[in-house]
Amino acid sequence: MPPTSTDVSHYLPIGVLLLIAITFAVVNVVASGIIGPRRQGAVKGTAYESGMNPLSSARKRFNVRFYLLAMAFLVFDVEIIFLFPWAATFAQVGARSDDAALFLGRVLFFLLTTVIAYVYAAKKGVFRFD
Amino acid sequence: MSALMNAQTFVSLHVLIIVLHVILLTVAYLIYLERKISAYIQDRVGPNRVGFDFGVLPFKFGFWGLGQPLADGIKFLLKEDYTPNGADKALFTLAPVLMIIPALIGWAVIPWGGHIEVGDIYVAGFHLVAAGPAQVIGANVNIGVVYMLAVASLGVYGVTLGGWASNNKYSFLGGLRCTAGMISYEIPLGATILAVLLIAGTVRPDRIVEMQADQGWFILSFPLAAVFFYICSLAESNRAPFDNAEAEQELVGGYHTEYSAMRFALFFLAEYAHMITASALLVALFFGGYHVPFIPWTHPEAVGIGPMIVKFLAFFTKVLLSICLMMVIRWTIPRIRYDQVLKLAWGALIPLGIALVVATALMVYMGWTQIWQLLLMNIALAGALLFSIPLLPHERVNRRIPIAGSRFSPLAGERAHAAPTHPAALRESGVAGPDDGLVSAH
Repeated sequence: MPPTSTDVSHYLPIGVLLLIAITFAVVNVVASGIIGPRRQGAVKGTAYESGMNPLSSARKRFNVRFYLLAMAFLVFDVEIIFLFPWAATFAQVGARSDDAALFLGRVLFFLLTTVIAYVYAAKKGVFRFD
Repeated sequence: MSALMNAQTFVSLHVLIIVLHVILLTVAYLIYLERKISAYIQDRVGPNRVGFDFGVLPFKFGFWGLGQPLADGIKFLLKEDYTPNGADKALFTLAPVLMIIPALIGWAVIPWGGHIEVGDIYVAGFHLVAAGPAQVIGANVNIGVVYMLAVASLGVYGVTLGGWASNNKYSFLGGLRCTAGMISYEIPLGATILAVLLIAGTVRPDRIVEMQADQGWFILSFPLAAVFFYICSLAESNRAPFDNAEAEQELVGGYHTEYSAMRFALFFLAEYAHMITASALLVALFFGGYHVPFIPWTHPEAVGIGPMIVKFLAFFTKVLLSICLMMVIRWTIPRIRYDQVLKLAWGALIPLGIALVVATALMVYMGWTQIWQLLLMNIALAGALLFSIPLLPHERVNRRIPIAGSRFSPLAGERAHAAPTHPAALRESGVAGPDDGLVSAH
């Protein structure tokens, strides 16, 4: 079988790939900036809003719904990430053993707290998007 | 004397270089493929002129328009890379870079071709590579799927920054919508992967693929999870019918409205690279990776250069089939309205994903992990879903509002007009209009 150790050198290729990706992106952006023409203009510099003159800056307050959504996302995404180590090891505990029951019970309790959070958010109208 | 690198590093670096080029070339030709598929669906011809004569060579070299991606690339490079006056210049430049980097590094943990044996390699007497077994994988790390999830979710930064830095209302709204959509669909994506991991008992994609070669593909045990995963990966890579970020009719180009030249091209490339990564993960998790039944060379036990190439081709063919399905979906299914996209995630996919995880955990606890048992569980869950739909609370948001004089939605008790009543329409149709001068609402 191939090595499955947690050798740090296994992460080296990711670093190499990251460097390649950064180089690819930066070289493309810089090259296009150098090669392409540059012509400025007052009208050309305005934001494109379908031919209308832009009325104001786009840096405005926006709907609070997006904040609520981001908060709800944090709750659920962190929960999912916490479940990954459990999911990867649960199959090895042994079916119907006491350990497995304890393991499963704790996770179900954890999920129950999330369900409570979900119901609360739903009652508060976080998931009403219309 | 110890060698400079072990066999795994040696193989990984080669895989990275080769697959990176394959992916970049594939991305370029996916754009061509998408234009061809859309053309055939819409009864057009699509790009068929540009060849490899570059306009300067004496002979005409048509090649069904296969030179189109090259021409597009050169054109992207030669166009003006414009930054609007109101934009935040630094973030405006940073956004496409932040978009393309996660798209290009996400596939590093995909097991393209099983494992091979590497012999000792000496270069001019210098011990370069130590002999040993190695995975044909970009990075043989033991966090596998978690790494892919983490990297895939980084793509949201490019969208958010691009939309905000442009200082354009369309871009801003597009960026907001896209951010909300991408983060919403990340949760069911994680939940469906959790269901698979519960059975597989590992987060290493290569182990998951080997397991599927032994026990049957996970699409058989988890058809429901595969469908959820596919829906979520469509939304994660901003593909139709979830591409509200760039809904042309409402938001012009969405978050890349203000972008031009290569910075726009990077956004574009990132979308297609995301499609490849998402499809590769789908194939690795549900469709047996490189394994094809009845072909011994695609079995994990087959080791060597020949089987490795066959496995890679099998894997990539599956990925391309998945991408073709994505393209057909884009050109046949209309875009879902924005609030419905989020409703689908929060109202349906997230509760269902968590229900799937709980159900799978109970199955694992009971020791019922045969394919038919899991398939029954999936069918039971889908049946429960279908039967519970009429019981769920419904909001009537799409009511028809009656309008005075309307042909399509008349007021209660009013006769629906079957003929045009507007004076202008009547003049045009040559029918004498009513003399009372009634002006309808339509």
